Amino acid sequence: MPKLERSQWYDLSRDMNWQFKYVSEAEVFPEALSHSHGIPAAAWWSWEEPYKISYREYVHNQAEKDAGVYSVRSAIARSRLFDNLDPGWKAAIVAHYGAIAMPEYLASIGEARMGRFGRAAAWRNMAMYGTMDELRHGQIQLSFPHELLKKDPRFDWAHKSHHTNEWGVIAIRHFFDDVFTSNDAVSTALQLTFTVETGFTNLQFLGMAADAMQTGDVAFGTLISSIQTDEARHAQIGEPTLRVLVQHGKKAEAQRLIDVAFWRSWRVFALLTGMSMDYYTPLAHRRMSFKEFMLEWIVKQFLDQFRDLGLERPWYWDLFLQELDWLHHAFHLGVWFKRRTVWWNPDAGVSAAEREWLEAKYPGWHNRFGTYWNSIAENLRQGNVGHTHQETLLVVCNMCQLPVCSPTVGAPPRQVTHNGRVYTFCSDPCKWIFEKNPARYAGHLSIIDRFLAGHIQPPDMAGVLAYMGLSPAEQGDDAMNYAWAFEQPRAAAASAS
Amino acid sequence: MATVPLYAVFRGDFALLLVSVDDQDTIEVVTQKVAHHVIHRRLPPQDAAMRVQYNHRVLQPDQTVSQAGILPMSLVEVFYDT
Repeated sequence: MPKLERSQWYDLSRDMNWQFKYVSEAEVFPEALSHSHGIPAAAWWSWEEPYKISYREYVHNQAEKDAGVYSVRSAIARSRLFDNLDPGWKAAIVAHYGAIAMPEYLASIGEARMGRFGRAAAWRNMAMYGTMDELRHGQIQLSFPHELLKKDPRFDWAHKSHHTNEWGVIAIRHFFDDVFTSNDAVSTALQLTFTVETGFTNLQFLGMAADAMQTGDVAFGTLISSIQTDEARHAQIGEPTLRVLVQHGKKAEAQRLIDVAFWRSWRVFALLTGMSMDYYTPLAHRRMSFKEFMLEWIVKQFLDQFRDLGLERPWYWDLFLQELDWLHHAFHLGVWFKRRTVWWNPDAGVSAAEREWLEAKYPGWHNRFGTYWNSIAENLRQGNVGHTHQETLLVVCNMCQLPVCSPTVGAPPRQVTHNGRVYTFCSDPCKWIFEKNPARYAGHLSIIDRFLAGHIQPPDMAGVLAYMGLSPAEQGDDAMNYAWAFEQPRAAAASAS
Repeated sequence: MATVPLYAVFRGDFALLLVSVDDQDTIEVVTQKVAHHVIHRRLPPQDAAMRVQYNHRVLQPDQTVSQAGILPMSLVEVFYDT
């Protein structure tokens, strides 16, 4: 007997919506976990996924993807490809695995919550595929770095990082806890799948995949390209959820959820992807600057989606555009200066040729950031390496948990007193996010709060490093062993001529 | 004698720093403690006096932190008076 076409049985297989008789709607879908926004149960049943797949097809596709990816891993492990990679690129992938692998597992919690508490059967069906996707992403992004442990013990941070209180991990954990690990189903659909995955993970995964192939890191390129094919599917959970909200007069609520997630995504990806693209990727292999990538993928393509769905630009859009020119450069400088507090070896990325590229891509970079690097390079040439390490903590924001950077520091302090405690913010949007929902965020202690509360002992940099879980062998150092600093006089001469 | 943690920025630097001072430190000492983390590291020294701005007013160098009424976790800005 011939098989039926999928279209002939698909709806029957996944439409399990019905009216409850023996229990209440609120008992099945508690608001804290589901958050209907007051939209009637049956209204959610119009939820329609743009990308349809059956379980049989899913398993078949995923098995093929895994076979391809793991065969590449095996082949690479036996070669010397990794040994020949640029040290800056190695920094990018050590940072990536530590920042991303465990959050993939956490994302499976968010997907599974939608798989249970999403308000339509079609949505729950899609989210279960999303749950399995994220488990897969966690597994393969632990498997690859595990293979590389013998090359560099810092790959252990793929698993270790999220069990530590390293400052960057605190920031990533705070963000991901907010948008998916401890979020209701509707908010997760808008904040994780629509905003983070449709918008920002494209940056890290598509951008880094392209850079990886250019750099010769076939393993990493293959890995994250494979992951992105899953993301492209389950990210589509967001759009139909958004449509239901807008159709039922909840545009303002949807806009607020997206505005929160967009700003929070921007700051984390400015740190992670910004540094990797503009400083760690070898100059010869850079296709686009981070800003160019942001303009293409976020400002143009993602914003088009906003408009198509009846949304407005986030209210802080002009500020966001201004930050494209400087925020990740400031983060990079901060990370390099406190490199002992990260688990990878940051590449300063400011050789003479790299400075020229930065100035071309970001006119004014030299006057704004190059002068700091001049002082740093001079100290290195004079043998004052100690002067190139931060001896105190950089103050972090009580929302994004990232350093409060220039030019924010010249502005009036954005401080809020809530229940007798002072909270400090890096920007108006971070302050806005807190003030919209202080109960959600007020209990969290930043690394600065913990230091001042006496949680870190002894209260000095040695205590800070121990608190962050960084042994001397794990603490970062300059990826190029400072070679770039010793060509600065030539760079200065070249630019003067 | 009590430690007062401050959120300090040196004008022209790139980030806000956590700097601990004593409530009996003079403002002159505060400038030195903040400058220690910035000058010769990211910014060059200048032949000018350093001042502290707090709550939109420039403080007297011989005042103490306590006399100036600087509260813990306040923002102070240090700058060269050129």
